[in-house]
Amino acid sequence: MQTTFAWVILLLPLLGGISLAAWPGEPPRAVTRLIGVGSVVIAFLLALSIFGQMLMASPDQRTFTSSLYQWIDIGGISLDLSVLVDPLSVMMVLIITGVGMLIHVFSAEYMEHDRDYRRFFAQMNLFMFAMLLLVLAGNLFFLIVGWGLVGLASYLLIGFWYERPSAVAAAKKAFVMNVIGDAGLVLGALLILRSLGTLDYQEAFAKAPLLGLGSGTALAICLLLFVGAAAKSAQMPLHTWLPDAMEGPTPVSALIHAATMVTAGVYLIVRFHAFFEMSPLAGDIVAVVGAVTLIMAATVALQQVDIKRVLAWSTISQVGYMIMAAGLGAYSAAMFHLMTHAFFKAGLFLAAGIIIHALHDEQSLNKMGGLKKHLRVAYFGTAAGCLAIAGAPGFAGFFSKDDILASALSAGPVGVFSWVIGIVGAFLTAIYMFRLLFRAFWGPEPAGGYSPTPRPSRWWMAVPVTILGTLSIVGGWVQVPFGWTGISDWLAPVLADVRSPLEPSHTGEWITIGFSTAAALGGIAVAWYLFAQDPQRRSRLANVARGPRRVMGEAYLIDQAYDDVFVEPGRELGTVLRDTVEPRGPQGIITGTTALVRGGARLISASQTGLVRSYVFGIVAGLAVAGVVLALVVAGGS
Amino acid sequence: MAEQITFAIAALGTVSFAIGVVFFKDAFRAAVSLIGTLLSVALLFIVLMAPFVAAIQVIVYASAIVVLFLFVIAYLGERDEVSGPDRLDPLAVFGWLALFGVGAFGTIAVLTSQFGPDSTPTTTQIGAPTSIGNAFLDQHIIAFEATSLILLVAAVGAVLLAKRAVQLEGGR
Amino acid sequence: MIVPMSAYLILSIVLLGLGMLGVMRRRSPLLLLLSVELMLNAGNIALIGFSRMWDDPSGQVFALVVMVVAAAEVVIGLGLVVAVFRSRMNLDVDEMSSMTG
Repeated sequence: MQTTFAWVILLLPLLGGISLAAWPGEPPRAVTRLIGVGSVVIAFLLALSIFGQMLMASPDQRTFTSSLYQWIDIGGISLDLSVLVDPLSVMMVLIITGVGMLIHVFSAEYMEHDRDYRRFFAQMNLFMFAMLLLVLAGNLFFLIVGWGLVGLASYLLIGFWYERPSAVAAAKKAFVMNVIGDAGLVLGALLILRSLGTLDYQEAFAKAPLLGLGSGTALAICLLLFVGAAAKSAQMPLHTWLPDAMEGPTPVSALIHAATMVTAGVYLIVRFHAFFEMSPLAGDIVAVVGAVTLIMAATVALQQVDIKRVLAWSTISQVGYMIMAAGLGAYSAAMFHLMTHAFFKAGLFLAAGIIIHALHDEQSLNKMGGLKKHLRVAYFGTAAGCLAIAGAPGFAGFFSKDDILASALSAGPVGVFSWVIGIVGAFLTAIYMFRLLFRAFWGPEPAGGYSPTPRPSRWWMAVPVTILGTLSIVGGWVQVPFGWTGISDWLAPVLADVRSPLEPSHTGEWITIGFSTAAALGGIAVAWYLFAQDPQRRSRLANVARGPRRVMGEAYLIDQAYDDVFVEPGRELGTVLRDTVEPRGPQGIITGTTALVRGGARLISASQTGLVRSYVFGIVAGLAVAGVVLALVVAGGS
Repeated sequence: MAEQITFAIAALGTVSFAIGVVFFKDAFRAAVSLIGTLLSVALLFIVLMAPFVAAIQVIVYASAIVVLFLFVIAYLGERDEVSGPDRLDPLAVFGWLALFGVGAFGTIAVLTSQFGPDSTPTTTQIGAPTSIGNAFLDQHIIAFEATSLILLVAAVGAVLLAKRAVQLEGGR
Repeated sequence: MIVPMSAYLILSIVLLGLGMLGVMRRRSPLLLLLSVELMLNAGNIALIGFSRMWDDPSGQVFALVVMVVAAAEVVIGLGLVVAVFRSRMNLDVDEMSSMTG
């Protein structure tokens, strides 16, 4: 039953997307909404029903697989089109369909005035299908299929407004960097296949211990899988595509680049924890990368002026928290933060969408101010999201971040290092997020006011923001330290094979609560001092540390570095090949052949002089030659 | 003895007049040299015991054909050979070489070959008109008919050329 | 035959060579045709010589045919020369090279 629902959940957005894509002409807006939004709504309801059924069963009865079709069976390798319905995948499905549903509803109004309404929903549905396939797949192969399709959907949606060159460039950049990750992922899969002979989850995870603890193969597999995860989840050094991906419509940024696609990497690591257990070194590397990314992105976010870019860098930073947790072995903490992040980040993006929509596509913080009296819903959503992301006590982000950091303390020296980075990061997060809140909503309106006045949004856009804002407040209460452990209990069946599960110690817990609260409140205070109290203070500070701040603002010039190392040499190589190698080589062969033929023809036609006497000469000469040859032959013979 | 002397005279005449044909700049003199050549060749034919052919040579070749040439030379007026840039100058060397090659081949071939039956009858009737007539109508009847066809074609061609020539000059 | 066959053949070759020389050197088509006649006669000499050697009239028959053909050729050739002269007023074989290429 559950698996049947799972197949239907997969099928609905696929059919929705295909029917919208193949629709001749433009259907009426209402029909597009019905199909595009409706498919996701029904999928969410089915997911809820699966969840409910699983809740009613006992914990060890919550794993189901279903195979639709045996696709390959050669040489001992067999691949089926199969799904795995277990607590982990259901958690992801709920998040994807739930938040996805809210975002689809939001987009129904946000994209109202766009010419390509149908195409938008077709591509969004395609994305939903791909993401669901990724999390529901029962073997690594179909995960990779979903992975690739997700990358495709991301490319299509980032470049949705394809008439903008910047959007097209951003889409290409995202796709290329994702392909780098894909290569790593596929290599990792092949290595698994070669060492264990199977790609099916249940078999592979059971056989993972055969690799041997700390073996080179395990390390290689984990690192290759991590390359894929890093590309998809925008971790260093493959993070540069995400800020540029803000060229896409805001709902796209909310869904793909905040709540779901970028979390696919985290899902991957958690799903494959059996392998990461076999290579502690790989886990440490992953954690360090996550930590470094986290802090780097936080510093860059401080300098951003475009509202969506602040949120983009913030996403990179928060996913860094998740990756860090997964690397250390705090899998359920990572998933918990994934969930809360989906709530508040999607909420923040949608609220930003309300602002952008109301201000007629204005995205720069420099042109905002005093919006709290105009856009109340957006204010609520943003405020709730900021409090959550900063980790203010009681809000969703507080509990999930806390879970990560407290577990980190029990994870050895790398864990402690991660803890320190995490606390500093939390401080910075509070600063930059409240900078956004204060500059957009508080303070005076920009000179001249807003013209035309910001238009308010209807229920389509207001309700999802409100729901997500509420979830940012209450969503964290399912996993409370010293209290209810909803998430870790839920995921326990999946994580049963973790050797030494990471449990935060009591002292660790208290230390973490203390420091993280201090960091959060301290950051809010700093932001309030700098940005809320006296708006002029900001301009006075503009000259402080201008150099380093410029570097931070430019994302540490990583993009420029990539340009110098990869893009420019590539272009040079292309030019050299085009100007030098090709004319001589392939082109040269072709032109050479024609030149040869033409030259030969010219040579031969030289004898066609049209002069009688030359022809006579030819005859005589031929006769002479023939005669001499004949004479020699005869003389030789006789 | 007489035969050899006659041959020598005829051969000498042939070659000298031939040189005249090739090298005289004046068309008229070249045509007259041709007459000399043809008569010398007729003499050769007589030495070779082909009196009928010699007679035909004189009547047809040395008279009719050369007269045709003279007609045209006279019609075209006094004109010397055109002298202007010779477009085949570069090939001159090769031309001489080719000629030399032909000559060499021929000479070698002739000198290294053995000729004919060991004995040739000193007198023969094959040159007589009877014999030739018989040969034409007996063995070589097809050649005979084909030749007459060629003559017909030539006659028709001449008429056509003349017609066109008349039209060019404004006649009917 | 008292004079050996090879003598006649060498004479024939010499005449042939002279004729070829003439054809290659002469610029006027009229004089070119004259040189062609030389070559034809060279052939005739050889034919008659062989006819005598083998005591067969066929050679003489062939020589007569050659003469007929030569006559026909001269007729047409001269007609052409006259026609060309009428339209171009010059007689230079080198100028008649429109079939080049």
